[in-house]
Amino acid sequence: MGISRRDIFKLAGIGAAIGISQFPSLAFSAKTTNRLLPPSKGKRIVIVGGGWAGVTAAKYLKREIPDVDVVLIEQRKMFMSCPISNVWLGGLVEFDFLIHDFLTPAAKYGYTFINATVTGIDRDKRRVYTEEGYVEYDYLVLAPGIRYNYDAWFDGDKDMARYTQTHYPSAFIPGSEHLRLKKKVDNFEGGTFVLVVPPPPHRCPPAPYERAAMIAHVFRQNEVKGKLIILDPKSKIAPKGPGFRMAYEQLYLDIVEYVPNAKIKEVDPVKKVIKTTAGDFKFDDANLNPPHQAADIAWKAGLVNPKTGWCDVDPVTLQSKVDPRIFIAGDANSVKGFPKSGDMANNQTKYMLVRALKAMIQGKDPLDYIKAPTNTCYSMVNGEPKEAIVINVIYDIDKQKRKPVKKKVNVENERSSRLARATFEWAKAMYRDMFS
Amino acid sequence: MDRRTFIKTCGSVATFSLLSSSFFSRSLKAQTNRFKKYKKAILLDKQGNPLNPSSLEVGKQYIFFYPYRSTPALLLNLGKEVKPSEVKLSDGSTYLWPGGVGPQRSIIAFCAICPHQLSYPTPEYSFINYYPHNKPSKAAKKGSVVQCCAHMSIFDPEKGGIVIDGPSEYPLLAIVLTYEEGKLYAIGTLGVELFRDFFDAYRSDLKKMYKSFRRAKKKVDKAVVVEVEEYVKEVIYC
Repeated sequence: MGISRRDIFKLAGIGAAIGISQFPSLAFSAKTTNRLLPPSKGKRIVIVGGGWAGVTAAKYLKREIPDVDVVLIEQRKMFMSCPISNVWLGGLVEFDFLIHDFLTPAAKYGYTFINATVTGIDRDKRRVYTEEGYVEYDYLVLAPGIRYNYDAWFDGDKDMARYTQTHYPSAFIPGSEHLRLKKKVDNFEGGTFVLVVPPPPHRCPPAPYERAAMIAHVFRQNEVKGKLIILDPKSKIAPKGPGFRMAYEQLYLDIVEYVPNAKIKEVDPVKKVIKTTAGDFKFDDANLNPPHQAADIAWKAGLVNPKTGWCDVDPVTLQSKVDPRIFIAGDANSVKGFPKSGDMANNQTKYMLVRALKAMIQGKDPLDYIKAPTNTCYSMVNGEPKEAIVINVIYDIDKQKRKPVKKKVNVENERSSRLARATFEWAKAMYRDMFS
Repeated sequence: MDRRTFIKTCGSVATFSLLSSSFFSRSLKAQTNRFKKYKKAILLDKQGNPLNPSSLEVGKQYIFFYPYRSTPALLLNLGKEVKPSEVKLSDGSTYLWPGGVGPQRSIIAFCAICPHQLSYPTPEYSFINYYPHNKPSKAAKKGSVVQCCAHMSIFDPEKGGIVIDGPSEYPLLAIVLTYEEGKLYAIGTLGVELFRDFFDAYRSDLKKMYKSFRRAKKKVDKAVVVEVEEYVKEVIYC
């Protein structure tokens, strides 16, 4: 989607007509004409989004191709980790465990960090627009994460979406929503607490089940007389289904009620009623998780397949199928068999995207350099004592079919303190990789 | 390195390893740019005596600190001759790992800092461990491997620490040993060193543990060998 001058006028007109500027960067603010950085002497790779994929891309692109100018643009002032946030929700780790700074790796690895909100991407001119001005790129790595698709529930009723997000935040995008959810869980005094599992594919497949275990743990600690109802659109818990089921049955039998095949028909956050294909449920409080999609900026740039809600990419290079100058990193891309997890975002970016981009810049065949990723995902299921389960998937690259395939799947459904310790070590090591 | 050169080099490295450590390190350096010489350190037992190779039980993992006082290494006796082998890196380059030393050429050592994301044994936990053939890793479903449970990187200690599976980009860094007049010595490292990353990542932890960062980075000329189970409160197998 190239944005012409004519399009800009058109868009500005729409923005004015509906009173909302969808493209504030292109709405003739004097600042948008500012060039934020001087033209690069060599090639420049701009990364939009400083989540797990974006931060990994910045470090490894600069490390692998030192003569390239690498620029990371992120709107948040501090990094907050979504992985391990359930463990924090269960009170098993301090909040600062999740918090990291963007500046240390930028200084250490020598990439440029710009703290700004990206408002538009002009693919024809190869520019990324922010409120402060634009940055030109030779290649763009888009790592925007996800957005909530409340439209699936409320058919475009933005007020209802906002109400739901404020009162029953999803907390799958790090920030205030997590803090509000923790207050809700800690202060819950009894009754019915509903957790809605989003339909797949969604960010971190086991996260809703781990979150349920951690909420149940808090209820048990607080001696709350209440039920936690998990409404799952799927027919069974996956991944690590046996591990989660055993935890619910053995640790939280009087608290957790798991309801499969509960596809959402209607959500009324005001009357506190959810209608599903498995029946209607009233709640006193809730964690309402709508379906996930690629984040807004990917839609604005015309990189999303509207049929799936995710960005179509070459499954081994992660290059956008819409624009060969753009690579989609992390949760926003759509690769069959890859979960949308932090570990996968880090691995696929490091071993596939960065290597592919490096090979392309050097005029080599990316297939000769790509390494298949792995995905390791621990889930804490008990808080006292701390116990976890794990799944580890090792992939291979089928070069002929040009796609990743699962080579080995190891699952430990038997919860243990050993795996709980490994959970923390996993996280510390990931943070070390990205931020130290 | 073609097959012929490789076989020739294996033979010469094996021969050199019987000779003096300085001659051995010179020959190793000549053959690979991945060898880095450090202070020669004698391996000692807990009593401070030179380590008797026969005291190393097959199947057990031992730890010592080399080349810095804060950088741990695993010492293994595989109970059989461990032959030299070629190690290939992801950039296509190779180096020759000299295999085992000692009376049976069965003793090997690797840096115990995971080359993936730097997990290492502390007095509290050890996530990177050796699994003998009769005690296989659940995740790898096989023994005779070194595995890090943080992210399931699996290495082959009999083949110079190459990556068998998992996310690690690099093999284990080998600690080069020599066996001279019944005594074991560490003389350097062979492979991809990540000590700088290690010191960066754990600066504050090491400062606490060794009172000062400078002390943590002190190079050693002797190293006491103990069982990992003795050094670490909880060994995490997976």
